Amino acid sequence: MFATQVAINGLLVGGLYALMALGLSLIWGVMDVINIAHGAFIMLGAYTTYWLFQAGVDPLISLPISMALLFLLGFLLQKYLINLVIRAELFITLLLAFGIEILIMNLARVVWTANVRRVATSYSGASIGVGGLTIPLVRIIAFFIALILAGALFLLLERTRMGRAIRATSQDLLAARLTGTNVSNTYALTFGIGAAMAGAAGTLWSMLFPITPTMGGVLTLKSFVVSVIGGLGTMAGPVVGGLVLGLAENFTSAYIGPTFPNLISFGLLVATLILRPRGILGGRR
Amino acid sequence: MRRTLWLVLISSLVFGLVAACAQPAQQPAAPAGGEEQVSEGEEAAAEPAVIKLGAAISFTGDKAREGKLYTDAYNHAVDQINETGGVQVGDKTYEFELVLEDDESDATKSARLVEKLITEDEVHFLLGPYSSGITIPDSAVAEKYSVPMIEGGGASGKIFSRGFSYIFGTLPSAANYFQSVLEMGQTLDPQPKTVALLFADDEFDIAVADGARKLAGEMGYELVIDEEYPSGTQEFSTLLSRVKSENPDMILLAGHAEESLVFVQQAKELKVNAGVMAFTVGPPTPDFREAMGEDAEYIYGVPSWTPALNFTGGEVFESTQEWIKLFEDRFDYEPDYHVASGVADVAAYKAAIEQAGTLDRDAVRDAIANIEVVTVYGPVSFQENGQIGGGTVAIQIQEGEVVAVYPDSVAEGPAIYPMPTWEER
Repeated sequence: MFATQVAINGLLVGGLYALMALGLSLIWGVMDVINIAHGAFIMLGAYTTYWLFQAGVDPLISLPISMALLFLLGFLLQKYLINLVIRAELFITLLLAFGIEILIMNLARVVWTANVRRVATSYSGASIGVGGLTIPLVRIIAFFIALILAGALFLLLERTRMGRAIRATSQDLLAARLTGTNVSNTYALTFGIGAAMAGAAGTLWSMLFPITPTMGGVLTLKSFVVSVIGGLGTMAGPVVGGLVLGLAENFTSAYIGPTFPNLISFGLLVATLILRPRGILGGRR
Repeated sequence: MRRTLWLVLISSLVFGLVAACAQPAQQPAAPAGGEEQVSEGEEAAAEPAVIKLGAAISFTGDKAREGKLYTDAYNHAVDQINETGGVQVGDKTYEFELVLEDDESDATKSARLVEKLITEDEVHFLLGPYSSGITIPDSAVAEKYSVPMIEGGGASGKIFSRGFSYIFGTLPSAANYFQSVLEMGQTLDPQPKTVALLFADDEFDIAVADGARKLAGEMGYELVIDEEYPSGTQEFSTLLSRVKSENPDMILLAGHAEESLVFVQQAKELKVNAGVMAFTVGPPTPDFREAMGEDAEYIYGVPSWTPALNFTGGEVFESTQEWIKLFEDRFDYEPDYHVASGVADVAAYKAAIEQAGTLDRDAVRDAIANIEVVTVYGPVSFQENGQIGGGTVAIQIQEGEVVAVYPDSVAEGPAIYPMPTWEER
């Protein structure tokens, strides 16, 4: 019974990890940019939801709004800033993203203060009891939204012209150019979509956890671990990685001790890099 | 060509933003800097002498929230002293000047900054940083240079157990934090028997847990869960599932504000109940109550001070209530025990320096060691090891207000016990 409860806890939070990592993984896979600012985007999504909630907008309604705002931010950042150094060495783009992260985080801290805030809806804290198990309502909602968004992203990439352009750019830059893909625009779109996924993750995160301007750092790290464990280049990678990480963390916490989940998740990261350097699903890189 | 143009445009924009955001971040230090310039300008005329109080404090990083509380406290107390006659040393009048540096919540960086404050800025005396983990290295630097430090943000026994003679602290010993709640438990009916003790893996919280474990044993409680968790944990579901299966009468959590928040939220989600749920940090602060809303009801806290207390005729401010009013007018929030402790540190310096009658560090150290002064925080005098005597007050959140419930000498009302279950609310 206890083990089942732990598994449920792990799966539910794993869904959220998956959504967080999708954006990072997409940008990484297509553009070879490790977006250190990903966590800061998640934070912005969370605060968008918080402020709209203060104005009486339900988090589930603010979800598309925070996605749209973050898409815009991501699109503009890529088009006018990151694009300037996109052909530079990995280190330069990493540094730039790091700078963006510090800038966003500190602006948020100045403007919104470092106070801990929470989105407390009328239904947060509600839960469904099934035969002795407790399933928190908000978490199950967040879990399914995460899966739906992952599915939608999959369809977008597989079935639309834009998605084909994104995949083409990722697979063979030269060929994509030769066949008339506007690479600069495609990159901006990809970055925008990645940021929008971060925005969505932020909205869901704010429904589950308290938020602060500095919450992003650890989330970037988690997204990174999930991306690597799951494998780049496939949509299913982050989903599998997220669920694996969620389950691993919760079982470690339950049976080894609450101080060990980080050891296990980074142990998983190292083990993946050694045994399956391309991730569990081993996508094309 | 266009590319270069964009680069210039955007980099200037970024630099502009950085400058814009750097400015307010350093604001806490600005009043001190501003006054320095004025005093330099008047140097030829009167030369108003200053006593420099230095501190490395967290303006940024994960301790920025509490760092601000201490920054505000130091500024408020220093400005008040300077406006009301300054510090009398012999027949000379001095003003306090604050020299604050941002340690970015990093203990190593903080210790380096304290060294810089002593050697380069030549501060006379030191105030403390926030958190036990940072105070431990900072105080070691202070001791090395024989510079007195009165700190209000570190309570771990480790700060005071090293035989240092220049370190004084105004937070009660970490080991005694849960004493008030545990003692209160013995007066309750039905008497709670089982305790779940959860604590973060940092200096302070480990010290709190060690103390609580010992006290609980002495008072005859049974510890059913005794578990350490990593600082900054956001996911308590699994730990809570375990707590639920043990069903303890009391849950004691020694952690940080965010962890307290997350714990209560997830306890509600998983319907984990207990007669008493007490947290070291969080419940007494306004943003905990703001963030939690009704879910904060009935939660217990163990601050060393609450705004409900009133001490009169003390140093610097006339009374606690008078000070709270002034503080709220200026900073727009209700001070908590961090702030009061910070004000007490500055007040203790004023009293000790005036008593010593000199700025000599050793003479002032001796004066601090023997000081007995009433502040907005209560009476301040230090034990042999440098830590303030006394313990904590058990408070409970009742109808959105912080109500002192134990010990009886300061209680404003009875405890609501057991806490109504989540299902009943």
